[in-house]
Amino acid sequence: MEAILKSDLHAKDAHAPAKSTLFWRPTAQTGLISWLTTVDHKKIGFLYGVFALFFFLVGGFEALLIRLQLMYPNGTVLTAQQYNTMFTMHGTTMIFLAVMPLSAAFFNFIMPLQIGARDVAFPRLNAFSLWTFVAGAIIINLGWFMHDGAPDGGWVGYAPLTSKTFAADHSIDMWVMGLQLLGVASIAASLNFIVTIINLRAPGMTMMRLPVFTWMTLITAFLIVLSFPFITIALVELMMDRLFGTNFFEVSNGGMPILWQHLFWVFGHPEVYILILPAMGIVSEILPTFSRKPLFGYPIVVFSGASIGFLGFSVWSHHMFTTGMGTMATAAFSLATMAIAVPTGVKIFNWIGTLWNGHISMRTPMMFALGFVWMFMIGGFSGVMHSAAPADAQQQDSYFVIAHFHYVLIGGSLFALLAGIHYWFPLMFGRKVSEFWGKLSFWVIFAGFNITFFPMHFLGLNGMPRRTFTYDANLGWNAANFIATIGALILGVGIFIYFAVMVYTFLKGEKVAKDVWDARTLEWSLPNPPPEYNYRVIPTVHARDAYWYNKQHKEEIAREEAEKAKAEAAHGGIHMPHQSIYPFVASLGLLIAAVGIAVIDHDPSPGFWGKKIGVSMIGGVVMLAGIYFWALEGNEGYHLHLDDEGHAPADKNAAKH
Amino acid sequence: MRLSSLLTSTARWGRAGFALGALALLAGCDYNFWRMDGHQSTITVAGPVARSQLEVFYVTCWVTLVIFILVGGVLAYATLKFRAKTEAEEKAIPPEQGHGNPLIELGLIGASVLALVIIAIPTLKGIWYTYDVPEDRKADTYEITATGYQWWFKFEYPSEQIAGSGALTTGNELVIPAGRPVRVNVRAIDVIHSFWVPKLAGKVDMIPNRGNFLWLQADEPGYFWGQCAEYCGDSHAVMRFRVIALSPKDFADWVAQQTSPARNVTPKPGETAKAQFASLRTFKQNESGITDKYDVAPLEAWKAKQFPEKGENAALIAQGKALFVSKTCASCHEVRGHGAAGISGPNLTHIGARSMLAAGLIENNAEQLQRWIHDPGAVKPGNKMAKGYLDNNIKLTPENEVALVAYLQSLK
Repeated sequence: MEAILKSDLHAKDAHAPAKSTLFWRPTAQTGLISWLTTVDHKKIGFLYGVFALFFFLVGGFEALLIRLQLMYPNGTVLTAQQYNTMFTMHGTTMIFLAVMPLSAAFFNFIMPLQIGARDVAFPRLNAFSLWTFVAGAIIINLGWFMHDGAPDGGWVGYAPLTSKTFAADHSIDMWVMGLQLLGVASIAASLNFIVTIINLRAPGMTMMRLPVFTWMTLITAFLIVLSFPFITIALVELMMDRLFGTNFFEVSNGGMPILWQHLFWVFGHPEVYILILPAMGIVSEILPTFSRKPLFGYPIVVFSGASIGFLGFSVWSHHMFTTGMGTMATAAFSLATMAIAVPTGVKIFNWIGTLWNGHISMRTPMMFALGFVWMFMIGGFSGVMHSAAPADAQQQDSYFVIAHFHYVLIGGSLFALLAGIHYWFPLMFGRKVSEFWGKLSFWVIFAGFNITFFPMHFLGLNGMPRRTFTYDANLGWNAANFIATIGALILGVGIFIYFAVMVYTFLKGEKVAKDVWDARTLEWSLPNPPPEYNYRVIPTVHARDAYWYNKQHKEEIAREEAEKAKAEAAHGGIHMPHQSIYPFVASLGLLIAAVGIAVIDHDPSPGFWGKKIGVSMIGGVVMLAGIYFWALEGNEGYHLHLDDEGHAPADKNAAKH
Repeated sequence: MRLSSLLTSTARWGRAGFALGALALLAGCDYNFWRMDGHQSTITVAGPVARSQLEVFYVTCWVTLVIFILVGGVLAYATLKFRAKTEAEEKAIPPEQGHGNPLIELGLIGASVLALVIIAIPTLKGIWYTYDVPEDRKADTYEITATGYQWWFKFEYPSEQIAGSGALTTGNELVIPAGRPVRVNVRAIDVIHSFWVPKLAGKVDMIPNRGNFLWLQADEPGYFWGQCAEYCGDSHAVMRFRVIALSPKDFADWVAQQTSPARNVTPKPGETAKAQFASLRTFKQNESGITDKYDVAPLEAWKAKQFPEKGENAALIAQGKALFVSKTCASCHEVRGHGAAGISGPNLTHIGARSMLAAGLIENNAEQLQRWIHDPGAVKPGNKMAKGYLDNNIKLTPENEVALVAYLQSLK
């Protein structure tokens, strides 16, 4: 396969097509244009990370406002409407604009390196995913700067509260179109990752040798591809209701609000695993590295991940135990939900098995990873409590649920992502975060997080419903709310320390040699930061922890690499994809079309061709133009020829055909 | 040497003092968040449905706690035991590269499944028990229909029919017979709401175009707090209600009173209208409408509301009665027997006998009632009455407000 691919490209190079004036091929390596036109998975991953962290801070700020409003009974920090906007945007932002893209940042940056590839399968599609994600994020947040305000329908957007009758302005339209764009971005990215993992693995990297993080990337990508269509359908139906007066959810004309809930949660529950599986993958990389042992029970961990993915599609109605589904359906979903606890528990057992008998180095990534295991365990146990439907009838939509999913999403996903940032930072930027500041931020975040969310279990059992902007002083909720707000401020300080240290390290941190953690997977065999072509020679994989094996068999590997280098050079050097502006253009078209559909009032004064239709059509044309040019500009790429020390020639263009 | 020892001891005393101060702060300010005995507690329950749900919760709690202690214990032990204490240990020759043990894995999977079976059995029992009234109690069941609106609750009593006006209808305070199963049919017209009285039963959603129901029972007479539990727009947080459970005799009396038309207070010849209270003070944004003394004996307070207020001024009440129609209140609210037959707002036929106003939000007294009708939007953001004032250009002078308050308070 590899050889066929290579020789095909080699043949093409020999007959390089004539330069066309129609298709502009950007070659900038620095500056704005280089970022807008990049197809390098590492740069794209970096951008995903930057955007995700920005929105993470925005979502965190929204959370602090929410907590300040609830610090005392009858709070006056926010009005009811502002509060409702805050929790809607906090949920939407954290899930779709912070945790998902931060996971995507790691998929992009780390996964191709882990499988020994030089890029993802479709580099330009990757850029398109990134820019479409940015377009979606802009649309969702546009309301902040408009008269209509940001969306306030809750992150689940339950019909019919989102219908034209109850939400007449454009804020819900922006929420709908923003999520649609994010769906396009996520599905495109996921297809790309699936094809990459299936097809671009280095020789010898069998499926059962894939690093666990890559496995979890694959499973997550399948979950996205299979679950996002459901929310796409739901959003299309809602959009039709709002724009064209259809009656999917319009109650007065016989619409069924419950249909929205089913469609939303058939997406929404797998979404939970979309958020947590990458985190589990990261932790499954960090624990072995810092225990200096292979992952305990690798096949079972992988199989558990896959079965969580499968079962994740059969439990959605546990979000709907109170909608009156009847005894049989409630019982079925209750038992299916309990069943999910088994593969999840298995993962925890295996992580502990990994620590057992190891030499545990207590470095910052390891602290966050262990914090993850503890917090995820607590979140998992409260999840089991929810699975018991009768108990859930009391817990549903109370602060007990808030406590549960923040233990899973902060204590789980976020801790793992913060661990991942610390872990891969030296590889990404060649610098290492100070252990002191890293550990300090961990302890502050850990303390703040628990002070905030542990009391919420009690608050929920004491009857406080979620999504409430105020409460009276006589209900016994004052103490827990006050403590939670203090905790949230501490958590905020912790996050601030974390990011301040991260920015400092990025600019001025201690420079480190490659493989600073004595790690086990292939990406650590690269110099840091990795060159744009990643691997000078596509590695051959001999064992599951590939780089660990290579370190044990240095001579053999060196011999093998030298031979392969010669063979590759004879094939015309390292094949690289060209930069392209057209993915960005296509995303821009989507952005314009979404603005047309969601933001502009329909003004039918010049007949059918109002401003709304006009702007939407322009967006569509720009998008189609972007896609056509992208298809027609070709994908021949160019070749890099490295000298014997592995450096690319100074003048890059000289190396290009 | 001496200086450093002094510093150490100072530091030690400082720490001790800080710890003591923190403790005092915690004790003094009543920061015992773990007490779960509030009005909406799911732990101190008062009926069989909530009790059954609590029992299932306790099973899940104990099972997961035991697992947490076991697994957490092993995790803590492994972390401490196998931790590299020195740099040399970190760099030591790596441990034996074991890949797992299928027997341990299978054993743990088996144990997890067993733990889940322990949870599953009471769960299944609970699902069937809490779903509907048990067969042997069906004959004794009292039926009620509850409808959620943005942002209040309507309660209908199909078994209490009133000639000429259908089933007995009240708002925001659900009165039920204690000791009997009550089947509540939950409905919604606008958006989704959820019916939740934590001490009596877990919630069931009120969904438009979908007929849901739940059952509950209060073991003893009592006064219970309820709240909408599904986000339903601006004022979701202040969409509350109360359940009042009465002994069979009290309940029968209450039904008799409620099924009669609104109370009439006829002014004596020559009586003049006098304001009964001081003019309206200003309220802070989101100010609580509940006083501390309200909490001491809410059921007794509710019972006291069933009798006419002291010092009623019949002439003022008559003014208010006329204003209720002329200011178009009557086009949204029903006052049976007084020519007011609106249906889009709560039925006010016996509003004076309720303990709370604005859907369980503020106490039903003259001051709060005037606050409510003076500026409904300030009490309950986005509500229909505020919009109605704007749409119909309703303006109330302080004198109007006082008269309306006197009238509404007289409706026992």
